[in-house]
Amino acid sequence: MSTGIVTTDLRKTFPVRRWQGWRRRPVAAPVAAVDGLSLRIPPGQVTGLLGLNGAGKTTTIRILSTLLRPTGGTVRVDGLDVVEHAREVRRRINVISGGERMVYDRLTARENLWYFGQLYDVPRARLRVRIGELLDLVGLTDAAQVPVERYSRGMRQRLVIARGLINDPAYLLLDEPTLGLDAPIAHQLRALIAQLAADGVGVLLTSHYLAEVEQLCRHVYLIARGSLVAQGSPAQLAGQTVRRHTVRLVLTVADPAVTVALRTLAARHDAELTVDVDDEGRPRFALRHPEDLVGAVVTAVVQQGGTIAGLTVTPPTLEDAILTLADPAVVAR
Amino acid sequence: MSHALRVVAAEALKQHRRLFGQPLVLFSMLLWPLLTLAATYYTVLPVMESAAAPQRWPVAADPRRLLAFLAAGALAYTFFFSLVQSAWHFSFERVSGTLEALFLSPASRMALVIGNGAAALTQNAWLFGCFAVAAATAADVLDVAHPGMYAVAAVALLVPAVAWGAFLNSLLIFSRDSAFLYTLLDDPLWFVAGVRLPLFALPVWIKAVGLAFPLTSSLVVLRGALLDRADLGDLAAPLGWLALLTVGLFAGASALLRLGEARVQRTGGLQVF
Amino acid sequence: MSVMGATFVRNWRITLRAYPWTYFVGTLATGVLTIGVSMLAYRAIGGGRVGASFTAATGSADYLGYVTIGAAALTFATRMVLWVAKAQITEYREGTLESQLLTPARRLPYLLGVTAQALSTTAVEITVLVAVASALGVRLSVPDPLTLLAATVAATVAVVGMSVPLSALMLAAGEAHITQNTLFTAMALLCGFTFPTSYLPQAARWLGEALPVTWALRVLRAATLPGADVDPWPAFAVCLVLGGVYLLLGLSILKPAERRALHRSARA
Repeated sequence: MSTGIVTTDLRKTFPVRRWQGWRRRPVAAPVAAVDGLSLRIPPGQVTGLLGLNGAGKTTTIRILSTLLRPTGGTVRVDGLDVVEHAREVRRRINVISGGERMVYDRLTARENLWYFGQLYDVPRARLRVRIGELLDLVGLTDAAQVPVERYSRGMRQRLVIARGLINDPAYLLLDEPTLGLDAPIAHQLRALIAQLAADGVGVLLTSHYLAEVEQLCRHVYLIARGSLVAQGSPAQLAGQTVRRHTVRLVLTVADPAVTVALRTLAARHDAELTVDVDDEGRPRFALRHPEDLVGAVVTAVVQQGGTIAGLTVTPPTLEDAILTLADPAVVAR
Repeated sequence: MSHALRVVAAEALKQHRRLFGQPLVLFSMLLWPLLTLAATYYTVLPVMESAAAPQRWPVAADPRRLLAFLAAGALAYTFFFSLVQSAWHFSFERVSGTLEALFLSPASRMALVIGNGAAALTQNAWLFGCFAVAAATAADVLDVAHPGMYAVAAVALLVPAVAWGAFLNSLLIFSRDSAFLYTLLDDPLWFVAGVRLPLFALPVWIKAVGLAFPLTSSLVVLRGALLDRADLGDLAAPLGWLALLTVGLFAGASALLRLGEARVQRTGGLQVF
Repeated sequence: MSVMGATFVRNWRITLRAYPWTYFVGTLATGVLTIGVSMLAYRAIGGGRVGASFTAATGSADYLGYVTIGAAALTFATRMVLWVAKAQITEYREGTLESQLLTPARRLPYLLGVTAQALSTTAVEITVLVAVASALGVRLSVPDPLTLLAATVAATVAVVGMSVPLSALMLAAGEAHITQNTLFTAMALLCGFTFPTSYLPQAARWLGEALPVTWALRVLRAATLPGADVDPWPAFAVCLVLGGVYLLLGLSILKPAERRALHRSARA
């Protein structure tokens, strides 16, 4: 029996119906939300799932958590098939989604956790201890007896996190967990995720905050249109990007000779050059290239007698990786 | 099994905490039904005072018996309608996102909908108390064959009500327009179930429709046992039919839950019907 | 005038785009089924006759006509209250109350605009109800047109008069469901829609007399009940005065209620 969550050639198409005459008929070839995805989420580490909006991240999480049934392929959680052994899988998994849904307004934090503990069949004695631990962990011990409707947004989100941990899940699926969280709380949550992974929990994380992914994930899957386009450590992925050292340069005054020299330089290296003006009306250049061209740029400017007002160099980041790798044009190539 | 019982209890307590103490309960369960009961009584009174009425329906001759007949109808109706209301509230969980959290858990879905209906019932136990007090003050109106018939009346009201609640919950959590179902099960329900009229006054086709709802037969048993001195033998037919309906409603609820969740897993939308 | 006209047009647009069918079916069902119960009881139990107390109280033996007109009037009152009394709390819930209160427009023309639009849709709904009743076999006598017009005016004044303080109450409480249904069930009992108020105990009768709708119904009975030879105009006058008092009272408490509602939404 293999441990971890393993998906093999996972597919999901949603039946689409359109009005045809007076009735709605299924569309012949509906678009696949997940298309042949094979992933592995091992225990004891944080695995990232990245992609642009609509890439299929949330659909994937919903299949892994049994809320959706795959159209093709398999998902096994510690060797258990998510369709055949759905109830057993549900005991081992939990989901935390960003936002404030999934808890009851009229109940207190303690009552919410007790209720979900019953649904997860957490043994009585264990549940009593667990509720106390979780309230402590998310800092809601003082507010434990207050109805959730009187909570601030941050407090509600912390309760949502506690709900997701009530069954001591072996695998935790995090769908944009820090969306809209205040910076200190997001920071705490990140520390918590790292701790859970260290304690042996297998975590899958989708996030728009790439710093978060770079900080937490040992392995990242990058998907576009439901298919895998790249995978590796965050550093490896960032390294796969093309044209993404960015040199930004601002001159004190416009100088046609400098502009010509930079255009020539860009053409010679096949780099991407954009020219505009900054807030103070000064000419601004941005040069993108796989290699760091800052030396050549400075030499060219100085040779033409230009004066540099500002210069920055940005190394490739994970964000660039997503943008370039998930770009349909790049994927097609 | 013990897990299922824990889920029933937890769900019932959750509903209780969510809804109890809301002023709405007092209004919708007591004040409005009482005002409506009075208005119904006065509306049909002119007809009951007609010279022909007592021969056709003996209850018409005695205003107190008429009122007891209508009050029993109002009680049973309010009771069954409270389950419609609780199912309606349950359907909001789809909008608030908590339904998804329920589906994430390994809890038995059937246990959840039964727990929900049971909560509505236990919450309205006080309503029985009010009715009992009212009945005690007008004890001469009650006409019971033997004390065991009180239990028969209670069971005939409670058990089908739980099945009705489970069925409605299953139907409404997947329903696109639960407000419409809610409306459909309000006024038409009292009309076809003989809440305000004896069943013989209804046309055959309305009686046929009414039989499909457990309220109709529950009410026959309730009135028979408490007001008309009926014993088990007299009520065998409606009790048998109630048992069949109860089994059918539980089976229907189970099928709806299974089909509904399978469809939700296929389409991703939580609305099925 | 422009505020009233604009509100009228706006509400028509909204109605045409998203007609609240569920409300309509609900209210229509209540009316039709009330008529249905009376009709079945009248035929199957009463043998087509009613007791002497009804004839004595109404001056007529036309029980089915009485109940049908009453049910139609109750539908009218219910629907008008739903439109007019709930206009502002609906704006509050949809977040448009604030943008309304920012304008220099006065409340009364706004509410009259809502009323005018509500009258036009309610007229259609009442027609449907009466048509259904006729299809069921209720025969209504031809009313006196002038008295019927007076009854419509009286009913409108009565309903709008009661709706304005109700609107203030809903805004202040931040709640509509309990308030509206309590009013509907109380009205159905106290005002003499489906039975003469003389059936009620003394205390309940006095409560009914304090509601303008009770007086509007008396004008309506004078117009529609065959054989009831009563002078409608004293009831008409009482209805206008009572309705006016309710309206003025309502307008005077509307501003504080609005302020309270805005305070609440600012805190939330």
